[in-house]
Amino acid sequence: MSDWTDDNDGVYVVGIGMHAYQFPSETPYTHLGLTAVRAALKDAGLAWPQVNSAYVGTTSIGMAAGRVMLRHLGSTGLAVTQVENASASGSFAFRQACLEVARGVSDVVLAVGVDKHGDARRAADKEGLQRLSETANVPPVKFAMMARTYLRERGADAASMARVAVKNHCNAALNPYAQFRKPRTLEQVMASPRVAGDLTVQQCCPRGEGAAAVVLVSGRALRRLGLDAKRAVRVRASTACSETPEVAYGSAAVDLVRTSARHALEQAGISAKQLDLLELHDAFSVEELLYSEAIGVCEPGEGAAYLERGDSAIGGRCAINASGGLIGMGHPLGPTGLGQIAEITRQLRGEAEGRQHRDARWGMAHMIGLGSVAIAHVLTRNAA
Amino acid sequence: MTTDLRALTPQHPVLYRLAADGESLDFLYAQCPACGTLAFPANVPGCGHCGDPLAGAAQVAQAGVGTLLEYVTLHVPLFAGMEVPRIAADIQMQGGGIEEGVIAGTDESVLQHGMTLRAVAAALPGGQSFTCRFVPHTGASA
Repeated sequence: MSDWTDDNDGVYVVGIGMHAYQFPSETPYTHLGLTAVRAALKDAGLAWPQVNSAYVGTTSIGMAAGRVMLRHLGSTGLAVTQVENASASGSFAFRQACLEVARGVSDVVLAVGVDKHGDARRAADKEGLQRLSETANVPPVKFAMMARTYLRERGADAASMARVAVKNHCNAALNPYAQFRKPRTLEQVMASPRVAGDLTVQQCCPRGEGAAAVVLVSGRALRRLGLDAKRAVRVRASTACSETPEVAYGSAAVDLVRTSARHALEQAGISAKQLDLLELHDAFSVEELLYSEAIGVCEPGEGAAYLERGDSAIGGRCAINASGGLIGMGHPLGPTGLGQIAEITRQLRGEAEGRQHRDARWGMAHMIGLGSVAIAHVLTRNAA
Repeated sequence: MTTDLRALTPQHPVLYRLAADGESLDFLYAQCPACGTLAFPANVPGCGHCGDPLAGAAQVAQAGVGTLLEYVTLHVPLFAGMEVPRIAADIQMQGGGIEEGVIAGTDESVLQHGMTLRAVAAALPGGQSFTCRFVPHTGASA
């Protein structure tokens, strides 16, 4: 199957770098971002002047964050573009970088996500429309409602949802870049303070900061620059879409995930069951159950059983959120989507020491932004 | 002492007004001149169904009645000054659209999925204005 990701001899991830996600601190964002970028360049074996263009995913730092940060690497005159799309900011920065490489505009492109915890100002609060409830645009309320409906429709209990957090906190404990590094038991997750409905605080992603960076090159540049092809990970799909009218109560977000994932799988030419790795937006525990069904790694209604059987664990059928996900690794917004790409790249290379999923060939990074935009990328080992 | 709600002003006059019974609320919609769909709130800058700009759209009042789809108790304050616990509910309004509303009181046991809810005026501290709360619509069925 041929598509735009094959143009320019393909799009490859050749370098990844992270600054660990952490609780809000006084650390300047430039330190966070530059740590990740320098690590990604070193990982790729490239020097900063070889980078043609940079996309910067961020939500809360302010105008022109990229140029202010990147000038400390040297003012090479490269193109710098800032991308904001809520939780999916880093994912969309990555997609823009993929497009630029595939179209032959540039051969070496950086995508970096960096963020500090901001004031959570949202455009939805500025559209000049009043609401009957002040929490109408507050995500924990929306997802608590979805959780209540999910559990009732499937005859499941709150523990089946809490097990998502148990798994992801345990995965995060193995990830040196994660904000939370402690395994949690089901009892601990269930006994943590309630936030909304059946969601307890340990089933919700934390506030935080951090950075993630990825260097992409074309297939031509991969050869021309003499980079290590065996460690390169190929991008096989990149799709994005936004919400459509809801056909049934609560279906909009799930339909959005289903549609974006289906398009990505079609572009990659694989089925969901072939995915070995799946990083997805688990800002709230119920999302992992809903989206694993919507993406198709398990059957509709099977999300909780899939988790309980260990099918979504590292070493299971498809490791979901092996990084720890948003609940365990953290969700600093700008970096989150690029952190997913870094985790999948590390896993596909076989370099995820301590949390390696065996024989991983295909991975999907899926992200939504404030429940109304979605984006999916499929990556594979270079030999696949 | 009973508060005379007629002496108070609505917290959000664009959204609702006191109904003739002096307690219930009527919601205010804009009727799309192109496709006839009701839009809420009435000052939305475009019809969500057909995209018409709604210029000169007629305002239509509909009883603030709807069907309870889902509800949860909020245990932590999610905006400044929010009192907890508080029950938030998604309601399919008879006038169209699903709106998140606030249930009067904190007892989930009075609620059932599919029941009919009615919007009523609830006086705000200070005695100047009223806000919107939802209560079970006694004698009504979904």
